[in-house]
Amino acid sequence: MKLTIEGVGKRYKGNFWGLREFSLELGPGVLGLLGPNGAGKSTLMRILATITKPTEGRALWNGTDIALSPNELRSGLGYLPQDFGVYPNLNAVEFLEYMAAVKGLDASAARRRIEELLVLVNLTEARKRPLGGYSGGMKQRIGIAQALLNDPQLLIVDEPTVGLDPEERVRFRNLLSDLGGERIVILSTHIVSDVEATATGIALIDQGRLLAYAAPEELLRRVEGKVWEWVIPSAELPAAREKWKISNAIRRADGVHARVVSERPPVADARSVPPSLEDAYLAVLEGSRSKVAA
Amino acid sequence: MSQARALYHLMRADFLERVRRYSFLITLGLAVWLGWAVSTGKLKLWISDTRGLYNSAWVGLLMVLVVNTFVSLVGFYVVKNTLERDRRTGVGQILATTPMSKVLYTMGKTLSNLAVLVAMVAVLAGMAVVAQFVAGEDTHIQLVPLLMPFLVFCLPAMALVAAFAVLFETIPFLKGGFGNVAWFFLFTAMMPLGIKSKLDVVGLGLVQKQLKAAVVKAFGTASDHFVLGAVDNETRTRTFRWDGMHWTREILLSRLTLLVIALGIALLAALFFDRFDVSRSWGRRPSTGRDLVAVAANGLVPAGDGAAVQPAPVPVHLHPLPAGSRRFHFLDMLRAELRLLLKGQRWWWYAIAAGLVVAGFLVPEAGRKIVSPLAWLWPVLLWSSMGAREARFGTDGLVFSAAWPLQRQLPAAWLAGFLLALVTGSGVGLRLAISGNWSGAGAWLIGALFIPTCALAMGTWSGSSKLFEVVYLLLWYIGPLNQTRALDFMGAVPVAVKSGVPLVWLAATVALGVAGVAGRKRQLAGR
Repeated sequence: MKLTIEGVGKRYKGNFWGLREFSLELGPGVLGLLGPNGAGKSTLMRILATITKPTEGRALWNGTDIALSPNELRSGLGYLPQDFGVYPNLNAVEFLEYMAAVKGLDASAARRRIEELLVLVNLTEARKRPLGGYSGGMKQRIGIAQALLNDPQLLIVDEPTVGLDPEERVRFRNLLSDLGGERIVILSTHIVSDVEATATGIALIDQGRLLAYAAPEELLRRVEGKVWEWVIPSAELPAAREKWKISNAIRRADGVHARVVSERPPVADARSVPPSLEDAYLAVLEGSRSKVAA
Repeated sequence: MSQARALYHLMRADFLERVRRYSFLITLGLAVWLGWAVSTGKLKLWISDTRGLYNSAWVGLLMVLVVNTFVSLVGFYVVKNTLERDRRTGVGQILATTPMSKVLYTMGKTLSNLAVLVAMVAVLAGMAVVAQFVAGEDTHIQLVPLLMPFLVFCLPAMALVAAFAVLFETIPFLKGGFGNVAWFFLFTAMMPLGIKSKLDVVGLGLVQKQLKAAVVKAFGTASDHFVLGAVDNETRTRTFRWDGMHWTREILLSRLTLLVIALGIALLAALFFDRFDVSRSWGRRPSTGRDLVAVAANGLVPAGDGAAVQPAPVPVHLHPLPAGSRRFHFLDMLRAELRLLLKGQRWWWYAIAAGLVVAGFLVPEAGRKIVSPLAWLWPVLLWSSMGAREARFGTDGLVFSAAWPLQRQLPAAWLAGFLLALVTGSGVGLRLAISGNWSGAGAWLIGALFIPTCALAMGTWSGSSKLFEVVYLLLWYIGPLNQTRALDFMGAVPVAVKSGVPLVWLAATVALGVAGVAGRKRQLAGR
């Protein structure tokens, strides 16, 4: 099972490139896509989900170009877009039965799978209610269930935890980790902690380009010894923000605990602290933008 | 002052949002086409057996009557989407949190609707000049006689349409497809009633009196025969000079009354407007429109997603699918599409459909002229969702990323629509077959093929159910119901069947089928 992305680019109207020269090779595991708004994450996912075609380059699923032969991938694809809708007059079971038929699943296998999925996404109680009456979080869970209907080999989920309550979010993260063992899962999110909890590999994207692709441990190693924290009085925080790129500031009884990623300690009494993935993300992003500015 | 400014900006923003859409160009193109039909003499106005010379006054009046007849009907469908857009984009939720009053909102939307309609009218006013030159009977342009009818007749009619469109959008049961059908019948009823009353929206009644007097003055006599439309009998060539309307107090008062009524309707809309509070909607939660998850998830989560509904999560292991379970069955797909097509219909819908089937079988031929079209009008709102459903409900990302959507889902969706046509029209079809009227039965079958094919093609190209609803209603009304031979797509006019008209509709069905597949291909490729 292999997904190869070779120099993929996507140009939109007005000569705007949403994605440029993007290359990556993926095997089983969870790939976390991280990047700011408009970085190109959704564009990449839509290309991989065969919803849109790349302007340049190609993506290969087990050696087959997905733009030329999309159906080979689609048979084993689970896709949860960032924005999607449901048929409001159908209930959860009926909607999933419909999606199962569209995905070409055998009716009896689909019935068993739907029962399992409804338990999984915690919607058994609401299974007979029309989807039009569902809340945003419940609809999101239906979206997750439909993505898993055909036991996909490639699962692409775009901002899947948006709208989920903390309990459901944890549950979904665990599920993704489980699923990543035997298939390729691509997870796009702004929530770094979601990636932290599930990803076996992380791709950082900005302005349509791949900035870094590494295991989380590797990304953390890159900023080891470069994350500093020190305490400043509340009143001095605005001035500190002007001077340094503070990634986090937490108010405590002794003052504000400011955190920065820097090669050298920002002040004499700053102490080195263990890096988080968020620090690594900001450091890569900052480094890339400084290069571009230079 | 600040209220006036808010009103202006509400109207301006909405107007700009609309005119910067590709669909607005199509709308203007439609207006140009209508103007061209007048210019080339395809649409004419006859009083008795005469018509006016094509001078500025006559052309202005003719164009105005065309505008008020056709643009009033179709323009409603063009502008009836402004609240829906605010609801779908989430802008409405933001507006609802501002100090803006409900009256201000519905007035702003009415004015925006009016601005769009006036833009269409302006194009047609320009085309009136073209028409005068093309006719070449009197090329001297006189602006006042040309444009005054637009001001006096069109403006109040368009204001009324603009206000009605907003009102329909604020009333839950009228904001969807049912409202589209209801407007069609309301307008077609309003036209003849208006001619006889003082509230003549189109203005036909108001001009008829003066035109008749002009004909009497020119030729000594005139009948009440008054035709606005396609005239193919060019032997009637008597012409007279028309110098324009006498703007009597009665006419001006009547038009002013229409403006006041339009204002009243816009105010009435404020009464029904729910200020985007879904909990205030009547009956069930609104089910039309693209109810995107991302919109709901961005902090707009309604109550009900709490722990009260959900049991505590339990650890679940997802079992792998058994081998061979990834087997596509067309019948499963068809069943799913049929369920999607019919879901949400209440018992009385089925009862009326069944009643029409029985009536189609039992009533004699004279009665079938009414029953047969009615049987295929009743499911119009089900057909109209075909091809557009994925875009409308935002399920396109899910459905189109499945394998072979063109070869599997699309044929199943079409077949579901065809089966619906067969079943709802079965009374008539069976009666024709039993009586041995095979040409009639063939025409009926072509009708059953045409309807879902047309719906699917229009749905895939427009991404909306509205286009089919409007086009189908017009076809249905002019063709089968009013027994117009060329437009009888279902074999309801015996003379049309004998003259081979169904074969033309069969060809149209094939063309629409190709268009439907191309439209879906475009949807698949263009995302």
